[in-house]
Amino acid sequence: MTDPQRDPEGPPAHDALSEAAARSARHTAVETHVTPERHERASRTDARPIFEIDSVSVFYSGTPAVREIGFHVGENEITALIGPSGCGKSTLLRCLNRMNDLIPGATVEGSVRYHGADLYGPKVDPVQVRKLIGMVFQKPNPFPKSIYDNIAFGPRVLGMKGDLDEIVERALRRGALWDEVKDRLDENAYGMSGGQQQRLCIARCMAIEPDVILMDEPCSALDPISTGKIEDLMLELKENYSIVIVTHNMQQAARVSDRTAFFTVDLDEDDHRIGRVVEFDDTEKVFTNPSDPRTEAYVTGKVG
Amino acid sequence: MPATTRQQFQEELAELERSALGGLDLVCEALDRAIEVVQHQDVELASMVIADDDRIDGRYLEVHQGILSLLALQAPVAGDLRLVAALLHVIKHVERMGDQCVNMAKLVPLAGHEPPADEETLGYIARMGELSRSLVVQCKLAFAQRDADLAQDLVRQDDEIDRLNRSCFHRALAIGDEPDRREWAMHMMLVARCLERVGDNAVDIGEQTAFVVTGLFREFEDASHPDSAPKG
Repeated sequence: MTDPQRDPEGPPAHDALSEAAARSARHTAVETHVTPERHERASRTDARPIFEIDSVSVFYSGTPAVREIGFHVGENEITALIGPSGCGKSTLLRCLNRMNDLIPGATVEGSVRYHGADLYGPKVDPVQVRKLIGMVFQKPNPFPKSIYDNIAFGPRVLGMKGDLDEIVERALRRGALWDEVKDRLDENAYGMSGGQQQRLCIARCMAIEPDVILMDEPCSALDPISTGKIEDLMLELKENYSIVIVTHNMQQAARVSDRTAFFTVDLDEDDHRIGRVVEFDDTEKVFTNPSDPRTEAYVTGKVG
Repeated sequence: MPATTRQQFQEELAELERSALGGLDLVCEALDRAIEVVQHQDVELASMVIADDDRIDGRYLEVHQGILSLLALQAPVAGDLRLVAALLHVIKHVERMGDQCVNMAKLVPLAGHEPPADEETLGYIARMGELSRSLVVQCKLAFAQRDADLAQDLVRQDDEIDRLNRSCFHRALAIGDEPDRREWAMHMMLVARCLERVGDNAVDIGEQTAFVVTGLFREFEDASHPDSAPKG
C-alpha cells in the first residue's frame, strides 16, 4: 500500500530524523492492515510510539514549569493533553517540535525520542523538526496574503518539487476547505470566517507534508459547527498522521482522542507552580473509570 | 482542597439517587402488604397492592426522565457517569420488584376463599418474605453507602431464598391427590417464584453497587456458568 498523500518527490531525507520518519512511514504501510474498528479500540500497548517522552522537565530561566513528564504518543492516534490552566500542557506540546528553543531562557531536560531518534540530538536541525512536526495554534493566524499564497508559502520556502497548484489543492482538500474556497483562492485569507481560517492553518500545515500535527486548543475560538468540522477533520487525518491536541474542552478530548494525558499543577517547596502528568490512559478509561482521584475530580468538574 | 464546583449538577445527581433508592422503600411497603395478603388471603389488601403499584411505576418514569435530562444537559463522566448508568438499572429493578408484588397479589384471589392451606408451605413463604424484604433493605443500604462487601453479602441470603423456593416446589409435589390442595400449592409455588425474583433483583442492585464502586461490572453469580462466578 503506498500512501498517495506523502509526496514521493518531496525533498530527500537528509538527516537522522527524516530517515527515522521515512523508515517508520514504510513500516506503517505494511502494518496498518488492521480493521478501523480494531484500530479505534486498540489498547495502549497496540500503537507504535511516535514520541517517547521520558522524564521531561522544562525550565523557564531556571524556574521549573513541568517536571518528570513521561508517556508515549502512539502513531496514527490522537493524544489529548488535558488539565487546568497553567499545568504545562502547552509547554510540553511545544517540546515536541522544539518550539521552546525559540523562548529565551527555556531549557528542556530528559529525553524526547521521535521514531526512536533523539529529538534534541546534536545533529538535529530544529527547522527540519518543525517541518515534520507541524503546529496549529489557538487563534487562527493566517498570513496577510491570499488563500493560495498562505498554502503555497511553506512549499515555496522549502523548494518542494511538484506542481504548486496541485500541492495547494491537495492541502486544501485535506483541510476540508477546498469546496468552500476553490473559487476564491486569490482573496485575502483575512476575509474568511474564524473556522475557515483555522482550517486554512491546518491545510497550510499539511502542505509541507508533516508527519505529526500538534494542536494547541485549535477550537477554543470557534463555534460548534466549525469545531465539529475540525473534529471530523482530525479523525480523518489520523489515518495518515499522528495528532497531539491540547484542549480545555473535556467533551472534545472525549470525542476525538484515543489516549488522554491528565496534567495537574502542584506547588513545590519554593512555591513554584509545577505541572505533572498524574494519569495517562485510554481516553475511554479516563472518562469512565479514571485511576487517580485527581483525574476523577477534574473530568467530573468537581474541582474549580 | 479547592472549592467544589458544579454544585447544581451534584445536587441534581444526589436528588436522583435519593429518588431511585426511595423507590426501594415503596417496594418494601408493597412487599409487606403482598406477604400479608398471602398469609391471610386478604383479597381487599390485594387490590390495594395492585392499585398502589402505580406509585412505583410513576417513580420509575420520574427517575428515568431525570436520568435522560441529566445525561443530555450535564454530560456526566467517570464516577458520575457510572452512578447515572447504575441508577438506570436500579430504577428498572425497582419497577420489576413492584410488578412481582402485584403478581403475588393477583395470585391470592385465584386460590379462592378459605383455601386448603398447608402450614409447611406457608412457613416457607413466610421465611422467603422476610428474607426478600431484608435483601431489599440491604441492597438499598449497600448502594447508598457504596459498600461493595455489603452488596456481595446479598448473595448469601439469596442462596437461602433459592433453597426455600426449591422446598416449596418439593412440598407441592408431595401435597397429595386432592385437586383443590394441588391447585393451591401450585399458586403458592408461583408466589414463591415471585419472592425469589425479588431477591434476584436485589442482588442485581448489589452488582450495580459494586460497579459504581469499582468501575468493573461482574455478575455475583452467573446462572449459566454456576462454577465460574467468584464466591463471596
